[in-house]
Amino acid sequence: MSSSARTRLVRTLVLAALALMALAFFIPLVWMVLSSFKSNSAIFSTPFALPTSIDFSQWAIAWDVGNISRYALNSAIVTTVSVIAILGLSSAAAFAFSRYRFRGAGLMLGLLSLGLILPLQSYFIAQSTMFTRLELTDTYWALIIPYTAMGLPLATYLLKVYLDALPEELFEAARIDGAGDFRIYAMLALPLLKPGLATVAVFSALSCWNEFLLALLYIQDDALKTIPTGLLAFSSRYVTDYSLLFAALSIITLPMIAVYVVFNRQITEGITAGSLK
Amino acid sequence: MKPSRTLSPYLFAAPALAVFAFAVLVPFATTGYYSLNEWNGYGDMIFVGVQNYVDAVADTVFQTSFVNVVVYILVTLVVEVLVGLLLAGLVLTVRRGSIWFRVAIFTPVMLPMVVVALLWSFVYNPDFGLLNAALTELGLQEWTRVWLGDEQTALLAICVVSGWVFAGFYMTIFYAALRQVPSEVVEAARLDGAGEWTIFWRVRVPIIRNAIEVAVLLCVTGGFQSFDLFYVMTNGGPFHATEIPTTYLVQAVFRTGEVGYGSAMAVILTIVVVAAGLILVALRATADREGRAHRRLLAKAKEAVQ
Repeated sequence: MSSSARTRLVRTLVLAALALMALAFFIPLVWMVLSSFKSNSAIFSTPFALPTSIDFSQWAIAWDVGNISRYALNSAIVTTVSVIAILGLSSAAAFAFSRYRFRGAGLMLGLLSLGLILPLQSYFIAQSTMFTRLELTDTYWALIIPYTAMGLPLATYLLKVYLDALPEELFEAARIDGAGDFRIYAMLALPLLKPGLATVAVFSALSCWNEFLLALLYIQDDALKTIPTGLLAFSSRYVTDYSLLFAALSIITLPMIAVYVVFNRQITEGITAGSLK
Repeated sequence: MKPSRTLSPYLFAAPALAVFAFAVLVPFATTGYYSLNEWNGYGDMIFVGVQNYVDAVADTVFQTSFVNVVVYILVTLVVEVLVGLLLAGLVLTVRRGSIWFRVAIFTPVMLPMVVVALLWSFVYNPDFGLLNAALTELGLQEWTRVWLGDEQTALLAICVVSGWVFAGFYMTIFYAALRQVPSEVVEAARLDGAGEWTIFWRVRVPIIRNAIEVAVLLCVTGGFQSFDLFYVMTNGGPFHATEIPTTYLVQAVFRTGEVGYGSAMAVILTIVVVAAGLILVALRATADREGRAHRRLLAKAKEAVQ
């Protein structure tokens, strides 16, 4: 066999292996969606069979009666406010730490950097008693405040790296033109930070959208639950109604896959940058 | 740049710092204080010194939870990091058209862990689950079991789910790193007659060592902090077979009201996480220094020969 034919053969084999792997990764998801169109008895008796018809009635029930729409709205509110807060606060702090020398800067940055290594477990117990006393539990703030606080250290760090790479002359020139501190931040630094802000927005949004432990502890009121805890409540409400449960899982999963297919590059970059501190 | 007003830098930094101090630093310190007291969350606090720590270290369930989480970390190093590395190597040989494969494998990373946990508890379901149904279909009836209800398999079953989620994540990191490997180096090895397998392990992997070390660091420190999957799938059961530090301390604080005791366990877990992180970072630094010294020596030897 010539070497080019061999390469082609190897390539085909690798491709086949990859396709099989992709299938294995996708099978649970496909099974989930297919089962959402089946009756409970069909789920039990013929787990591998295709549904007899594509019937979205279970999806509609899960969305309306099952409250999934409410949970999605809550997640959207909490995520949006937290991400905006993270972007605003971290870009301002990163601007100060990157472009100015001021007394206490090292100490402040050091304190903030503690957030890069401290696990959630090191503070959530006291946070929960504190929030209970301040009567913050069972409000959106009980999630927005900690999500923002937890997102700030990494966001500030990444944005500072971006800002550090910009030439000092740029800022000096703006200063000579008579721009004040806030003007330089808002009109010069922020526009230049756009790619960095997008990266931060992606991983912050995903971690707010998916956060579970604090949401579990701070929100008991079903009308305020976000998707993760709402789904858990849903699953214990309809504990044996499997086709409804599969429908709920599908409703949450499919839009996320769609978003990922469209923005896969940004999301991949955002998530890997977010974890590679 | 000089600030136009002396106060400006402080005004820029203050909001972020205030929120962070309020929601993280203050509760962090307070958790440490709780850990020295006996407290049920509302009554009087009784100062007990390090008694909670003494009790925690002697608590067999707490010990088990650490054994379990270490087993989980070791298995996930294989099913997440190693599998991710192999997948990245596979994808690298295809390149074109691999985008769909990467999408398929990366998708689970984005999903909320609760979704993943519920989906997989259905896959493992003894009555209609995909796994038992597939085994029956293949004539392996005697292999079917109550995967999450069996002490022998529950922890491993959760590790598999973790692999399903994160193998794609590590693959993405490694794939990005592998693409940076200069093609001349690979070509040179190929001219020397090295096969693809050898090139992967002897040329490419050593070059992306940095990414691999970061992945191991993430997998280990992240593993100690796990909660979502375990809580939803088994909540520590059966008989503590999947008990990990966080499920156990959440139980102590929020179910049985042992706030002081739970805080002590939280502090111990924090120390372990931070120590594991620092040790891994220190190991990397030592390896770097040795690597540099080794290269210098090699360079000197070459000079001497020439």
